[in-house]
Parts: sequence; structure tokens; C-alpha cells
Amino acid sequence: MNERCAHNRQRAALAVFVLCLSSMAVGQPDSTGELKQLSLEELMDIQVTSVARHSESILQAPASVEVITHDEIRRSGVTSIAEALRLADNLQVAQKNSHDWGISARGFNASLANKLLVMIDGRTVYTPLFSGVFWNDQDYLLEDIERIEVISGPGGTLWGANAVNGVINIITRTAADTQGLYAEAGGGNQLKALTGARYGGTLGAGASYRVYGKYFDRDDEVYAGGRAAGDGWHQAQTGFRIDSAASARDMLSLHGDFYQGHAGLNTGGAARTAGGNVLGRWTHAMSDESELNLQTYYDRTHLVDPIPQAALNGVVLAPAGLLHDDLTTYDLDVQHRISLAGGNSLVWGLGYRYTHDVVRNAPGIGFLPTTLNQNLFSAFLQDEIAIRPDLSLILGSKIEHNDYTGFEYEPNIRVRWSLAQDQSLWSAISRAARTPSRIDRDLVEPAPPYTTILTGGTDYGSEYVTAYEAGYKGRVSTTSTASVSVFRNDYRDVRSLSFTPGTIFPVFIANNVAGHTEGVEVTADGQLLQSWSVHAGYDYLHERLHVRPGQSDLTHALGETADPKHRISIRSSLHLAAQLNWDAAVRWVDALVVNGGSLVGKVPAYFELDTRLGWALSPSLEVSVSGQNLLHDHHPEYGFPSPARIEIQRSVYGKIAWRR
Amino acid sequence: MATMKRAGPVAACVLLFLGLSVSAAVPPAEYRVKAVFLFNFAQFVDWPPDAFTAPGQPFVIGVLGKDPFGAELDAVVRGETVSHRSLVVERYFNIAELHNCHILYIARSEIGHLPQILKALEGRSVLTVSDADGDDQTGVMIRLVSRSNRVGLQIDVGAAKAGHLTISSKLLRPAEIVGGPEG
Repeated sequence: MNERCAHNRQRAALAVFVLCLSSMAVGQPDSTGELKQLSLEELMDIQVTSVARHSESILQAPASVEVITHDEIRRSGVTSIAEALRLADNLQVAQKNSHDWGISARGFNASLANKLLVMIDGRTVYTPLFSGVFWNDQDYLLEDIERIEVISGPGGTLWGANAVNGVINIITRTAADTQGLYAEAGGGNQLKALTGARYGGTLGAGASYRVYGKYFDRDDEVYAGGRAAGDGWHQAQTGFRIDSAASARDMLSLHGDFYQGHAGLNTGGAARTAGGNVLGRWTHAMSDESELNLQTYYDRTHLVDPIPQAALNGVVLAPAGLLHDDLTTYDLDVQHRISLAGGNSLVWGLGYRYTHDVVRNAPGIGFLPTTLNQNLFSAFLQDEIAIRPDLSLILGSKIEHNDYTGFEYEPNIRVRWSLAQDQSLWSAISRAARTPSRIDRDLVEPAPPYTTILTGGTDYGSEYVTAYEAGYKGRVSTTSTASVSVFRNDYRDVRSLSFTPGTIFPVFIANNVAGHTEGVEVTADGQLLQSWSVHAGYDYLHERLHVRPGQSDLTHALGETADPKHRISIRSSLHLAAQLNWDAAVRWVDALVVNGGSLVGKVPAYFELDTRLGWALSPSLEVSVSGQNLLHDHHPEYGFPSPARIEIQRSVYGKIAWRR
Repeated sequence: MATMKRAGPVAACVLLFLGLSVSAAVPPAEYRVKAVFLFNFAQFVDWPPDAFTAPGQPFVIGVLGKDPFGAELDAVVRGETVSHRSLVVERYFNIAELHNCHILYIARSEIGHLPQILKALEGRSVLTVSDADGDDQTGVMIRLVSRSNRVGLQIDVGAAKAGHLTISSKLLRPAEIVGGPEG
């Protein structure tokens, strides 16, 4: 009986995870280079804006922060935002198939990873379906991305729920920084086609704009045996951005993006995705010491996902069918920064978000209720107090009210001690919450009238972390910088798949896992020669989670983690000749312990190499050849070992970029 | 009601944009322009030979106090040279940390300690620059002043002379000269 029971659990678990949702012309010079060409008289005639003058260099922020620059993105040869995130050592990036990635900071990179907050130009992009990110839906013309800031560790005070283990902030260039024509085209063995174009100009007086479009087509990845997995992906996106200086103290921005994608599934068929957003922002500098930010956006996503039939022990529970999801989000945020006498820098803000989610259930998977409207209110206050010139204290808290769990409090306290020029020590204690997502509460697998074997938990509450962090960052010589961060996170009420007492089924989602993680993040950057810079990063992570005594979890507390213990990356960027650049990146990722329901499996450790050679034929024309994952024909980065696990192939492509 | 909700935010975005359409294109950030000014000073001021202790010694632009430049100043000097010397940016919290510095930007946070700072620099060839408001900044060699959303220059020739610095006429011409020549 016990054996039978265990067997049932295994089959149930496999069924559950097979069914997983995760299938898824300038008026005046602006750039530094142009400004340097001006005479003093001309320079004195340039109008300047004092907006955003208080934006602190993120490198001085008392947290574990890495910044991926425009130049790094361009020179690495990456072709998507998800690939670009490999350039941040404090993130674990695992590619699951041609269009899905698992991306996480400080562990918890489960198939429904949910502890990271991701924003593009201030717009939150996670889906309330599972509080994670559909990475295939997040795209941009990479040429127009200014930088990506990656913060590992809780960011709950400023950014709110879901910033449990980290925040990714993707910032696009201003319209004034992207003037003129840019066009790119390329292709290779995996990336069958890549095209993109942008044009930026001025709107008569007062404003700059850009419009862009892009399209790509990716080939299938393969199974371990080399057979194509049917997961090819193509997607098109277009968008615009307008920036206007209404006065020296006012900046207005309007952004919009629209996309449509077709992502093949190895379970048959293809997920069809579409979406769009419009965002407006007004920044007003009231005085030298005070700045107000008002932002609002509207965002829609549409997903049609073929769900295969659900079966348990060879018995078909529900036939195959389509899952539809249509999510509409309205968001309004106000933020005010003010520097007060006595060395206080205050930031406070208010936010409201309304989401309207409509699901049409597939037989194999569904959400009840199918339509859900939610309201999220938030308020935060943070004060940075300069106790001495070299010592500052940051205190703050966010208060949120969500429809599932009511009020949530996310306080933090940080200390920064500047040792000497460009060197500082910092430490922080924070608390953050991961509030329930629809999958935690509303999931039914399969959906009625079929027999449900997995359901959301009606009492499912928030998960909490208390994080203790400390770090050093600084310039260790005139040509090198380094940073070290250590952390310990205590988690409680983490998601579990628990058994209904007596009947086992339906398995339901509960908060029965707790535990802690510890880790170290190290980075070093050196300019070895004028023309040669290197970067090295190392991450260590130890995760210890357990099922709460007297409770059950189908996955033995492994369901939320699939993380390497060690990761190493080394990158080199070499300026070979005036017009020739050669970049290379090696990464080593330790084995992942993954679960397939109650079964434990492994993704083996691997080495991989990416490289790019770029040649500027003229100031306006560059050709490049990039290779990704060159060391193996194909290798797995994620997933329980099974014949259906998809492996990532070697990719080589060429590209021509032209700007005028 | 549903239609109202839908229309609300879009209407708000459109309204935000009715405010635009004056002046020229989007101006660059103030501190990007000020960073370029600091870089220009390195070229239009002559330092005495004893300001450099070794032939390969870099030219140092220092920022004292709370740095308003972010990454702008570093971006401006990257890859640049002044009379075959590479340019580096150093940041200080205390004037005592300053050793070999050629241009010192004194941030607003430090302006209260100006007399002590200037005293510590007395007799040294350090070009002092400030953009703080207020009149009580006697002794700062170059002030970046705000003039109808543009950056203007005020140069105290006497103070520069006391530091054995020679300011090129190219820099003096567009500037407002304050303080009389000493001695």
C-alpha cells in the first residue's frame, strides 16, 4: 500500500510538472562625445536640465548591485534580454528551450521562479499568474538599451512585493540618445533570421522621438539524442519613445511597445503570445533639492497555450485543449525625493495597480475563478541620513495592501561606511514578502468537470524572507575594482505541494516549507592594458530548506530550488586594432539538483564559451560574427532528466549593423 | 464603467503630452555638461612642472564630498589624455585624503567647510571648482554658475595666480572675471 502510494505520488508529481505553465536629428549636442567637441563658448550656450540630478551612482548604493552597460550588451553578441542577463554574475540564468529561461538571484530558480522583480523603464513585467516572468515576452531592440541594473537581495522597500531575492531594472536610452537611423540584419544556424531598425528624430520644437521594429526567427533546440524538439520561436515587436523637456525643470516621456510571438512547444503545437503597453512619465524638479516623479502605464498581455492531455497511471484525466489568458494592468505611481537640511535625503511614494485577468481554462489546467480583478495599494518612505561624511544610515519601509493577504510590511535598514575614496563597506537587514499569485490560490489541474489532482490553496499566504547582508565594494587600484557580498536569508512559509489528509489527492499548494540560504558573490574588474579589460565573477550558494514538522511536501522541499552551488564566469574584452574588437566569455555552472515531482535528478555541471568578433568597416558600418555555447553540440541547462528534456545547441551567427 | 476604466490611463498619458512643444530638443543632464567643463579646464590651464612628481603620473580630477556626477565624469575622461598624461577621477570624503590632485571639484555638501579646504590647499597648484549657490565662496578659482538654464563661468584670477596656475585667454574670454590680480 505504501509502495502504491509512493508510486501514485510520483506519477502525480510528473503529471503536475509536465503540465506546468512555463511553456512559455538633434537640436543641440547631447552625447558626451559631441559635447567634448564644442568650444567653451558653445558649451556655455548649451541648455541643461537639472532633472534627475539626484540619481546616485548605483555603484555607491549600499547593496549587491551589478550593472550591464549598453557597450557590454553590444560587445557580447547576446541576442535577447534573457541572454544579456548572463552578464550579471549575481544572476543564475538557465535556458530551458529556445524561448524559456529560468532566471533568479540567490537561489529559488524553480520552474515557476517567483522571487525576482523585473522592470522595463519602470513598468513591472511579472505575470500575476505565477509571480514570475514570461521571458519570451520581454524584448527590446538591444541597441537602444542604456543599461540593466541587477540588484541581488531584497528590494522590497523601494520596489515592493516580489523583490524578495532581487530586482532587475532594464533602462532604455532616451529618444535624444537614439537619434538617426540604425538598422541591423543577421542570421546563423540557430538564429535563422534577425532584423531590426530604429529611426530617431525631433518633433519640431521641444521633443525627441524614436520608433523601432524588430523580428527574429529561432530554430528548434534538440533532445539529448539530437532530435529536434519542435520548440522554434519567432516574434515581432515594434514601439516608440518620446522625451520632451517642457522646461528646464520638467521632463515628459511617453513609451509604447507592441509584440506578437509564436513559440513552439515540444508537447505539440505552439504558444501564441501578443501584448502591448503605453507608459507616460513626468519628472519635475521643484528645486535643486526636490524632485517629483509621476508615472502611469497600461499593459496588456495575451496568451494562448496548448495544454496536452493530463494522465495519471495511464488513465487519461483530461483531454488536450487550449488555455487562454488575457491580462490587463493599470498602474499609477508617484515618487518624491527631497534633500532636507541636516543631511537627510528622503524618498517617499504612493502606488496603485489594478489588474484584470481573464482565463479561459483548458481541460488539463485552469484557474478558478476564471476572471479576477485585483487592487494593489502601496506606500513607502525611505530616509538616508548622513551621520558623518563617511557614514550614512538608510531606514525605510513599504506598506502594501493586496486583495489576498491584506497588509504587508517590508522594512529595511542599511548602513554605508566609506573607507576611503571609492571604497565602502555596507550592511543591511531587510524583510520582504512574496504575496500569493493566481497559481497559488486559483489553480485547478485538471479543471472541473475533470477530476482535479492539484489545486491552489484557499489559505495560501505570503512567503517571507528576512535577509542579512554585508559587503565591500571599491577601487582596489587605479585600474581595478572589486566587490564582495555575503548574505544569509531566512525563509518561512515557502510554497509546498501538500497532500490532502487521508485521500492524498488532490495535492494542494500550501506554505509548508521553511529554511535558509547562505551565499557569497564576488566580482573583480581589471583594465590590464589600455586595450584589454577582464572581468571575473564567482558565486557560492548553499540552500537548506525543510518541510515543516508534521506537514507534507510532494517534492521533499526541493520544489522551489534548482540552483548550482558554485558558478564562475570570466570575460575578456580586447580592442585588437582601431576597428577590431574581440570579446569572449567562459562560464562554469555547477550541477543543479532538480526535482520531477518527488523524484530527484540532476543537470550536470557544464563549461560554456561565448565569443564575438566585431569589425567596424567605417564609422557607420559594423560586421560581427558571434558564437554562443561553442564547447558542446548541445548541453542541458535545466530540467529533470527525461527523454523530453531539451538541450541548448551551439549557435553561430553573423550580423551587419548600420547607423547614420 | 468598464469603458471609463479603460480610457482613464490612456487619457492621462495624452494629457501629459499636451504640455510639451517649446524650446529645442531634450537638453543633456546638467552634470554631463559640467563634467565636460572640468575636462576642458585640464586643457586650458597650465600647471607648474612641480605639480607632477613623475613623467608618467596621471592628471587627476578630484571630487570632494557628495559626488553629483554619477558616471558622467568618468565617461568624459575615459581614454583621454592631457599632454601625454592619462586622466583619472578620484573621489575624496576629506581634504586630508588629497595628495596629487590637479583639479578639485568641491561638492555642495562641502561648501560649509570651504575655509578649511582652501587653507589646506594654500600654496598648492590645485585648480578649485565649485557650483554651489551663494556668494560666500571667495577663494574658489572657478565657479560654474547657473544662467537661464545654461552654465556660466566666474574666474577668480587672483586665486589662480596664488596657486601658480596660468589660465589661458581662451578660457578667460567667455568668463566673468572676479577678484583682482594679487601682488
